[in-house]
Amino acid sequence: MVTKRIEHKWGMVVDLDRCTGCQACVVACQAENNIPLNSKAYFQQRRAYEWIRIERYWEGEFPNVKAKFIPILCQHCENAPCEPVCPVFATYHNDEGMNVQIYNRCIGTRYCSVNCPYTVRFFNFWEPVWPKRLRNQLNPDVTIRTRGIMEKCTFCVQRLRRGEVNIERRGLEPLTGERIPAADRKLNYRQMKEGNHLPACVQACPTNALNFADQYDETGPVKKHFDEANEQIETRHRGGHVDEAHTRVYRLFEEIGTKPNVIYLKKVEPFPLEKA
Amino acid sequence: MPSRKMLPLMIAGGVVTVIMGFVVVVLLISWFSNPPFGLGNAPAQPIAFPHTVHVAENNIQCEFCHRNVTKGAAATVPAVETCLFCHKDIDGGTVTAQAEIDKVRTAFETDTPINWERVHRLPDHVRFIHEAHIRYFTDETIPVKYGINGEEITQSLDVAQTCTICHGDVGNKTVVQPKIGQSLKMGTCVDCHRQNSVSTDCTICHK
Amino acid sequence: MKLTRRNFLAWAGLGAVGAVACEGFGIRRGELDIQSPVRLPEDLVRGSDNWYASLCRTCPSCEGIVVRVMEGRAKKIQGNPLYPTNQGKTHARCEAGLQALYHPDRIATPMRRSGPRGSDEFVPIKWQPDGIDSLRNALRANGSSSVMITEPLRGHLGLLVERFASAIGGEHLGFEAIDNNTLRAAVKNVFQQDTLPDFDFDNSRFILSFGADFLSTWVSPTRYNRGYGEFRQGEGRDRGMFYQIDSRFSMTAANADKWLPVRPGWEGHLALSLAQVIVSENLQARGVDVDTLVGGDSGIQALNNFRPETVAPLAGLTPEMTGGDPVEFLKNLARSFASNRPSIAIGGGSAGAQSNGLFNLEAIYALNFLVGSVGGKGGVRFNPGSPWDDVPASSKVGSLEDWTRVAEQIRSGKTKLLLLHGADPVHGLPDSVRLRDAIAQANDLFVVSFSPFIDDTSVMADLILPDRVSLEDWGDDIAEPGPGYQVVGMQQPVVNPLGDLDPLSFPDVLLTMAQELGKESQLPWANFKAMLREGSDALFAMNRGSIEASSADEFWNNLLRRGGWWDERRTGPAGVNAPDGLFRTIAGKATGPDFAGIGMGSDSFYLAPFAHNTLLDGYNGHLPWLQAAPDPLSTVTWQTWVELNDVTAKRMGVKEGDILRIESSKDSIRAVAYPTPAAPLDVISVPFGQGRKHGSDYATDRPGRESSNVMDILETTLVKGTGSLAWAGTRVRVSKTGESVSISKLEGNARAVEIGLTPAEKIIKTIAPENA
Repeated sequence: MVTKRIEHKWGMVVDLDRCTGCQACVVACQAENNIPLNSKAYFQQRRAYEWIRIERYWEGEFPNVKAKFIPILCQHCENAPCEPVCPVFATYHNDEGMNVQIYNRCIGTRYCSVNCPYTVRFFNFWEPVWPKRLRNQLNPDVTIRTRGIMEKCTFCVQRLRRGEVNIERRGLEPLTGERIPAADRKLNYRQMKEGNHLPACVQACPTNALNFADQYDETGPVKKHFDEANEQIETRHRGGHVDEAHTRVYRLFEEIGTKPNVIYLKKVEPFPLEKA
Repeated sequence: MPSRKMLPLMIAGGVVTVIMGFVVVVLLISWFSNPPFGLGNAPAQPIAFPHTVHVAENNIQCEFCHRNVTKGAAATVPAVETCLFCHKDIDGGTVTAQAEIDKVRTAFETDTPINWERVHRLPDHVRFIHEAHIRYFTDETIPVKYGINGEEITQSLDVAQTCTICHGDVGNKTVVQPKIGQSLKMGTCVDCHRQNSVSTDCTICHK
Repeated sequence: MKLTRRNFLAWAGLGAVGAVACEGFGIRRGELDIQSPVRLPEDLVRGSDNWYASLCRTCPSCEGIVVRVMEGRAKKIQGNPLYPTNQGKTHARCEAGLQALYHPDRIATPMRRSGPRGSDEFVPIKWQPDGIDSLRNALRANGSSSVMITEPLRGHLGLLVERFASAIGGEHLGFEAIDNNTLRAAVKNVFQQDTLPDFDFDNSRFILSFGADFLSTWVSPTRYNRGYGEFRQGEGRDRGMFYQIDSRFSMTAANADKWLPVRPGWEGHLALSLAQVIVSENLQARGVDVDTLVGGDSGIQALNNFRPETVAPLAGLTPEMTGGDPVEFLKNLARSFASNRPSIAIGGGSAGAQSNGLFNLEAIYALNFLVGSVGGKGGVRFNPGSPWDDVPASSKVGSLEDWTRVAEQIRSGKTKLLLLHGADPVHGLPDSVRLRDAIAQANDLFVVSFSPFIDDTSVMADLILPDRVSLEDWGDDIAEPGPGYQVVGMQQPVVNPLGDLDPLSFPDVLLTMAQELGKESQLPWANFKAMLREGSDALFAMNRGSIEASSADEFWNNLLRRGGWWDERRTGPAGVNAPDGLFRTIAGKATGPDFAGIGMGSDSFYLAPFAHNTLLDGYNGHLPWLQAAPDPLSTVTWQTWVELNDVTAKRMGVKEGDILRIESSKDSIRAVAYPTPAAPLDVISVPFGQGRKHGSDYATDRPGRESSNVMDILETTLVKGTGSLAWAGTRVRVSKTGESVSISKLEGNARAVEIGLTPAEKIIKTIAPENA
């Protein structure tokens, strides 16, 4: 039946061996999501809004020195620490594996941001302002958040919804506009890519370090990594041993048990620095 | 007769009552005059456009003018050009009607857009796709559907009938106003989604 | 009435009630407006989006983009998945084209100078007749003694501007603050090619890069990034190995498996030492004729002067840097470079920006012949020329020698008319060229700027005729560097200028002028679109390439829809022969770098300036997203910072946020200190791009901004053989000013970023390659 929504479970895989720290995802996110212009003062007050940010870690001292980059965004945890602390249920976990923030429900207690181990929630300390002309660029699919509420990465849910309407409901191929038989109408990875329905950061990433798809989608690039990651969790649950040295898959702060829907692939390092 | 001592208190009480009453009245008016409450306020439009003449008498389909309603999110008002398809030749039956048609022609000739008053307003944080709703209600493969007030719909609807579910019988109105008595609050949406077993995930509507 | 506490409260309460009453819970006025447009094309669905293919102009490599347009407003830029060079990917810079389009500081109408030159006082005028008339009169009077300075131009705009300049008898020069002339010269000398080559990182197993910051700013970073991703983790291939030899720890160096800090200017010697090892140990690829390549015994002898034993101390390599004996390290590097084929050696950036830069780059690129990577898979790939005979496929850019000459011509009164488009040479040239003074003091000079923004050069204009920005205008591009075959990109206007702006397209103005001056024979087109259409018709007539069409109209429509045309079968030469005795010739040119000005000392450093990750040489300085995009390594935004080694900083008593004075023999600038563990002890780095004196608030060095232009202090050393600016050839002295500011950086914005709180290895986990 048409009304039955097709079940998705979204997931992102970040390949740290591909990431070069180029900031393309950061600017793409800001362009898509009406993020306020980060002024110099925002950075100085440590209140800059970057739903996705590139963190850089130094290792060693000259001349044996390294810098490593990692893109960090909302991890869309299955056991999200931000969710139970919200007194008004403005943040919750939906069926599609997304941690959702409902802006008009938020009253700005900031409990969630305090409880987030990844520091990916941003509080609007100011009313967002844009010069009049720049307002023309604002994306009509994304609400402008007013002062006093929390905001965070949405996995570009507006793009996913646009894709679903086009494909699952209307049954149109994104590039050609051809009709898809009713039985095959399921937003798949190819259609997301062609129809610009992937999150803005993923679409921009020039090295393909960011990958996004349905975790069940056989044609997508994330399924095998999520299968591996889930198996690891189960093994641990059973008290088994996971051979950390031979797997690339890991989750950020695995030990706190948040079970994120963003997983990372370890950086390959042929010449590790010798630890002092 | 109250004592002199009481007088200032009474005056103060009176003033407070008046102010509170004023506040309550303002709140009530501004709150309930919003479309979601179905009081049917009809804003004044720059051009008196009688839907009766166009729809009821001349049988123009809704989607002929609101041409995006079956294509996209917003129903949209027609371009002045669209009016001129017919009104290039068709004149009004009465002097007042002719005056209104002249306004349209002038707008076209002078290249000035017409600024209508919105009757239904969607808040910035809500995504509503007309097309999806029309597609659902006109889908013949779904045997039973439920209308906005829970009424069972078993026959298949056409586009115009679907519009009336939320907007009322606009085609028989000279002045556009929201469907009287029809609540269009979030609860209304959620109830209808539930009855039709459509997802009620927040991100379906909230953006 | 006396204001007591009580009646203050009462009034406050009443005020609040009044506010509520007025505001009510009503809906803001604007939200209830709904407008009927007068005309609406059938294909325009309001409230839903359209994507149009076009080209990005925020970087010189010019990516293919698609622009999301909704209700006549551009909303989002993404990579065009069909376009061969960037394949749907973008750099951070591309997105910001939207901000140029809707920039609050765009010049709305033509303007005429009303105050003294350079005072930023202008009065608006009309295009017709004032603007156009003034331009025509200026061209008529002084066209033959004019100089036109533009951004680097390729494609039809390049042709148009060249023809226009020659029609009026003037000169045209492309301007780029960090030019690629030395790279071009090296490519010409080593590979005999006129266009820049492509590098097949996708299939390469070993990348050896000398000074080229190719993942961030060098030449075509989006394309290189895409290739780099495949190089690391592509399906069905082993992970490639990547060494970066660079005097600065750049973003690219950070991604390398091994970074080798080299003393600035000795990259060429290192390259020759690798060649010496390869030749002496017979490690060259099969089929490589070493004898001809090196130049017989005399060549071998010449190469033997560059044994690792000799070069390692010259290049400043120490056992700490190389984890053991530097000589052995170089030998091993040469061995793995030669054995992990296909391998590729590239060089550029600071390696080419020394007095001996041309030698450095030639030596580096010549390495590719030894490992058989010239023209082959996983190596250097060459690009064919333009599909049109007369349209340039490569942009011509002036060198520092040219700019010094132009400044002299202005000073002497020989140049009477200066036409500017898309270039800001006053900001982008070293202060010692004194272009600003020359323009300011030349009384007979008339300056016309076509820039849509005020910058340091257009502020000196007598007449400003604002151009349309790229998203509003027609254009095309011949991809340079291309992907190894012919690629033409098309740029179409995706939106109209906003109502309060009145720009005119620069090429259209030139064509109008050509007609009014009676030069139709050279420039017969009515407008630029017609010229492009003619080019499209010519492509259609060639009957090859990616677009199949039955008519010229259909071809044109498809060209616009796909954002370009390409012919995968029309490739560049599959391979080229090395000039005889290439290594002997190069070794004969070998010199060390010259550093003029300040000598060695405990407070003096090599200055390694670098192109800013998003602002480049300052071309994008006015775009707030790009100012706010953190530098990948320092994470600093909005400011000019100076990277210096943290040990050195401690020795000098410098803390993060201290404002330092950086002084060369020419001038001094201020910059905020950012001590890093990665800077070599004797090298400091400052990004280009900040410190404009005029224009948008986002770009200028207003008080408190701590934004300064490192160009101001560069020595005017030239690269031998090309006359370009050796921008990495300056030594500076650093001193504390005693002032300190809070540095504007991302680091520390999130708790997780703060080093020490969570150990880095818990956040970024690593794995050994044999286990991956």
